[in-house]
Order: sequence, then C-alpha cells, then structure tokens
Amino acid sequence: MRLADKFSDPQFGAVLALSYLAFSAVFWAYPFVWLLILSVSDWRFFDAPTFSGLHNLFVVLRDPEFWTGLWNVIRFFAIFFPIAFLGSLGFAFGLQQVRHGKAFVALCFLLANISSGVAFSLVFKKLFSSTGPINNILFAWFGYRIPWMSDPNFAMLAIALVVSWKFVGYYGLILYSGLQTVPKDIYDAALLDHTPPLTRLFRITLPMINAQLIMVLVFTILVSFSIFTEAYLITGGGPLDSTNTPMMVIYETAFRRLQPTHAAMMSIIVAAASYALIRVMRVLFEREVKLA
Amino acid sequence: MRPGFALLVAAFAVLAGCSKADPATSQRPQEIRLWVAPNEAEESFWKVAVARWNKSGLGMPVSFTTIPTTGSSEDAVLSSLVAGTEPDISSNMFSGFAVQIADLKQLQPLSSMPGYQALIIGRHMQGLIRNWTVNGNVYAIPIYSNPTLIWWRSDILARYGFRQAPRTYQDVYQLSRRYAEAEHRYGFQVAAGCNWEDRWFDFIAYYYAASNGRPYIANGKAVFDNAAGLKVAAFMDTMYKQGWTAGDCDPEEPLVSGLVAGASHGPWDIGRFEHMYPDTMKHIVIGPMLTDATSVTQTATFADSKGIVLFKNSKVKDQAFAFIAWVLGNDQLNLLWLEKTGMMPARADLLTNPVFKPYFASHPMAKIYADYVNVAVPPALNENTIDIQKAMSLQLVGALANGTKTPAVALADAERQIERILKVHQ
Repeated sequence: MRLADKFSDPQFGAVLALSYLAFSAVFWAYPFVWLLILSVSDWRFFDAPTFSGLHNLFVVLRDPEFWTGLWNVIRFFAIFFPIAFLGSLGFAFGLQQVRHGKAFVALCFLLANISSGVAFSLVFKKLFSSTGPINNILFAWFGYRIPWMSDPNFAMLAIALVVSWKFVGYYGLILYSGLQTVPKDIYDAALLDHTPPLTRLFRITLPMINAQLIMVLVFTILVSFSIFTEAYLITGGGPLDSTNTPMMVIYETAFRRLQPTHAAMMSIIVAAASYALIRVMRVLFEREVKLA
Repeated sequence: MRPGFALLVAAFAVLAGCSKADPATSQRPQEIRLWVAPNEAEESFWKVAVARWNKSGLGMPVSFTTIPTTGSSEDAVLSSLVAGTEPDISSNMFSGFAVQIADLKQLQPLSSMPGYQALIIGRHMQGLIRNWTVNGNVYAIPIYSNPTLIWWRSDILARYGFRQAPRTYQDVYQLSRRYAEAEHRYGFQVAAGCNWEDRWFDFIAYYYAASNGRPYIANGKAVFDNAAGLKVAAFMDTMYKQGWTAGDCDPEEPLVSGLVAGASHGPWDIGRFEHMYPDTMKHIVIGPMLTDATSVTQTATFADSKGIVLFKNSKVKDQAFAFIAWVLGNDQLNLLWLEKTGMMPARADLLTNPVFKPYFASHPMAKIYADYVNVAVPPALNENTIDIQKAMSLQLVGALANGTKTPAVALADAERQIERILKVHQ
C-alpha cells in the first residue's frame, strides 16, 4: 500500500508540511523567541539573562548612532528606489524587445544578484577609489574627480549604485513577468484610439502591473533596511557615519560592544519600522487590477 | 528574576548552548591548546616555537591552530567563549578586546601567575607593561610592539629640495607647497583610513608625538582637548584646507604611485614592500612621527601591539603560563619572531641585547623601528575603544576632512562625545 493511501488528504498534507514546520521551528521560531527574550533581558554572553523590562528600549532610543542608521535607510531608499525602479522597468521593456537569446540576456542580469556580495563590494571599492579607474578617466577627460568615498552624499550614491546593479536584473524579471500578463487587446484598442505612448504607459501598462510594482517596492524597502555587506566593505559606514546602516549598528553593538540585548532590541525596532513602512506604501499604492 | 521568565530563559539558554560542560566531570586535558594569528609569518614562528617546546619536555605538550577565519579574530574568540570551545591560550589579542572580555571575567590575570615577575624583568618589560595594566592586573602580555613611523619617498624629497625626511608640520607644509597639485597628488597622507581602528595610525599617533606620549584617555576621562591636541587638529585642518592631502580614505598604496610623498607605516610593511614593490622600497627613507617641535630628537608615537592571553576556564593554567613565560622570555625565540614576522618583540633591550645585534646590523630599516620601541605608546586600555575612536572619526577627523568644523570645535566636540560614552558605561 502506498504511503499516501494510509492517510486522508489533509493528514497526508500535514505530514508533508511537517518538515517545513520543523525547519521553521528550529531556524525561525526558536531564534525569534530567543530574540524577544533577549530584548527584555540584561545579558552579556556569559552570565544568566535577567529580566530588565524596557531598559534596553530606553538605551537604544538614546543611541544617536542607531538613529543615524535609521535616517540613512531613508536617504538610501530615496536614491536606491528611483534607480532600481527605472532600471528594472527599462530592463523589462528591453527584454520584451529581445527576439533571440532572451534567457541568456536575463541570466546575464541575474548573475549580479547571485554574485558574492563580498567579492563585488571589493571590486566596486577599487572602482570608486579616488585613484580608481572611474576617477582616473574623469580626471583625464575633464580634470575632475568625484569624491565617492569622502563626500557623504556621493558615498551613499555609490552604495545605491552598487546595490541597484545587484538587483536590477532580479526586479526586472519580476516586472517582465507582469508585462507578459497584460492583454495585447488593450494596447490594440489604445492604438486605434491614437493614445500617445506616455499615456499608454501611465494609463495601461503601469496600472496593469500594479501587483508586480508593489512587489518590487516591498523588496526595495526590505533591501534598504537590510544593507550590510556593501556599506560595511565599501565605505565602512563613513564618511561621517553617512552610510552607517542599522544592520551595521546592530552587528557592532552585539559583537564589538558586546551588548547583545541592546542589539536584539534594535533589531525588533528595525523590523517594526520596515513593516510599518511597507504597510503604509501598500495602503497608498496597492490597487486591485480588474479587467471589465 | 520572575519564575516564569527564568524558566523560559533557562530552556532557551540550554538550547542556545549557554550551558557548559561541568569541569569536574570532564576529562583532564592532555595538552595545552593555543590559537595564533591566521597569517603565514606568525604561523611559521609558532610552528618552530611549539615544536621546540614539545621536544624539550619542559612541560605539557602544546598543540596550536590558527584562529578560525571569521569576520575577525575577536569574533572567533567571542564565539568560542560563548560556545565553551575556547583554547587555553590565544595570541593576537588587541588590548581593548582583552579589557572587554576581562571585564566579563573570561581572562585569567597573568600578573597573578607564578613566574610573572621573573618574565617581566627577564624580558625588560617593566616600562612597557605599565600600559597594559588595568586596576593593578595584567590580562594580556604584549608579544610585539610596533612603533608607527613615517615613510617618505627620497626621490621625491630630493627632487623638491629636501635632503632628509621631514620631521615637523612646517617641513610637511613646505614639501606640500612644492609637490602637491590639486586632485592629482598630495604632500602627505594625513588620515590612515575611514574605519575606527585607523585613528590609531593618524590622530592618536600624532597626539602621542605632540604630547610626548601623554595619554588621550586617563582615569576614565578624555584628556586630549589641550595644546597638543589643538596643534594636531590644526595640522590636519591645514592639510585638508590647502588640498595637500587626499579626502579619500582609501587610496591604493599612495606611496608607490607617487600620489603622496609620505605616509604612516609600521615595520610589518618592510617585508611586504620589499617583496611587492622593490623599486619603491629602494627610495624609502623613514622619518619620525610629525610634531611642531624641531628640538625633539626622539618623538613619541603609537605602538601597534598585540598580546597573549590565558582564558579563565583553562584547566591547565599553570602549565599554559609556563609555556607563555618560556616563549616570551626566550631571547632566541624573540629573535626568531623578529626574523619570521619583522615585528618588534615588546622589550626594551632590543638594541642593547647582543642576541639581536646581528639582525639589526643587517636590517637597518628594522633598526630604526627598534629605536622607537621605548617611546611607542599602545592605545588607551578601555573597553569602549571602538566607540571612543568612532567618536574621534566622526567629530574630529571626519569633520576636519569635510571642513565642517574649526580645529578647536572639532576637538572639543570629540572630547565631549567621548566623555558621554565613558559616563554611560561607568
């Protein structure tokens, strides 16, 4: 008798789901509960945790570096989102026009997404250096160098460009999948009505791929809150803490200042802030797409 | 603790691996476990030293491995301490981290071990060890102490009318006026980098030089907002304002490309440059850390120094300390360290002890560094080292580099922020 015949469908489904539930319990639920415990405890790795109520919250709220990190998320998002959004939209439209080797082109862009963050951060660090190839070319042609690493705004732009390079292909494929679902009849009808291209873009294409756009928006918010490798390796959080991110502050608080409970509280606040921003964005921009 | 919370914590702590094996029920170890820095030079030294110790039969055998590669040595040591898998001894410990984990009661005070005094006297460390003493205890004994000095390109100096290495701020200004060209090349690399640890090699080194080795943190207070600190801040400010130093924190080997005529370097760079940039190395001359004074012959500077520690949970403390005392106290092994790593053993008799004379006779650049070991001061022993130096980066060096504050304001702001940090953690 087959295993599936021994159980009813719901029972068999539950058995199949058990492995996932066990995985989640070990690698998600357990660390999450431990994080919650730590966030309201006093503990420095070697002693027994003691309940400390909201003490960690007050300590974190008084930490200027943590607030700088959160502010930098907003600054990063303000630069990253337009670049990533326009880049991925351009990629999706471009991919539609490719007739041969579409999978190869998509794969080339996707490679950036699966490349080692450490490896490409080191490459970009050399590229953006004051004596790197980008600045050497600029200096040779225009007699000017861009202070990528020493100016707070250029430093954030450099990080945003690197992260955009990583994600444009991935987001582009999401948008491309959306474009594939838009019925061609709608465009045909619009053409008959002599609808200009920009009107078609804003009145047909973008509203029709709202679900995919929201997905990209949510992903860019999540990325903005979770930047670590690129900022840590390329600018080290500088200059003047202008690229210091919450993840870097959390890491340093836990493993350099040896204050894991403060770091636990920070991570909860960061998670809550990212969730809140996503909710706000969804309320503002998410629309149900209906074809009459 | 509330009973419910305590129960929950206990359950998760056990699962998290916070409970360690009961020492009484564990087997007594048969060897001393040692972790060493994960680099080829140090590894080759320990390979010989450990083999000699094990062959001598002087004590319990030692087995060594390099510190597991993670983010940093500190990360690896911390993880092992939390998991209860730490070795008995670890080298490559920076003083700030040693103070942090000593504060968490994870280190054995070495000053309380039998044979400690004999080691300090025998290795001529009486003066050096004062800077490694916290509340009367020594938790890490420095293995090496590398003075930071300034390397200059003699070919550039000669081309611009300098017969010897610049020693003062005025010398650097004069050289920069002649050599620097806007956004193309600079007189001197003022900032060693963007990260907190880079402050050891710029502001702190300059401050030690300007103040004749006075501490920048003393009795839990920041004490660098003074005449010496102001001279240093004004020097950095002038260099940035005039465009005589790069704003970029991380130019690639600026001495090699001629981007700058001078930059701070430690003795570990001698071998590296000889191997990688032999043509540049032919033109390197070494000068002291910069000050505004012309009369001082031997200027104080920063000592890049790392030590060896003994962990509190070691079950073979006496045997492990006997090994530490043997390695550090053995002149021949100190010579071997010098030969293998090029770094200065932390001892005051480097230039008078006949054991080292042949080495320094054939390594003139290393001899210059040895000459400064006695006036090289390690970083302040403080568990908030990272926050202190981040505040220096943000309020002082970064602000001067970006021209957002005057030297006096930058200095005062840095000291004020550090005061706040130290007060919170007191």
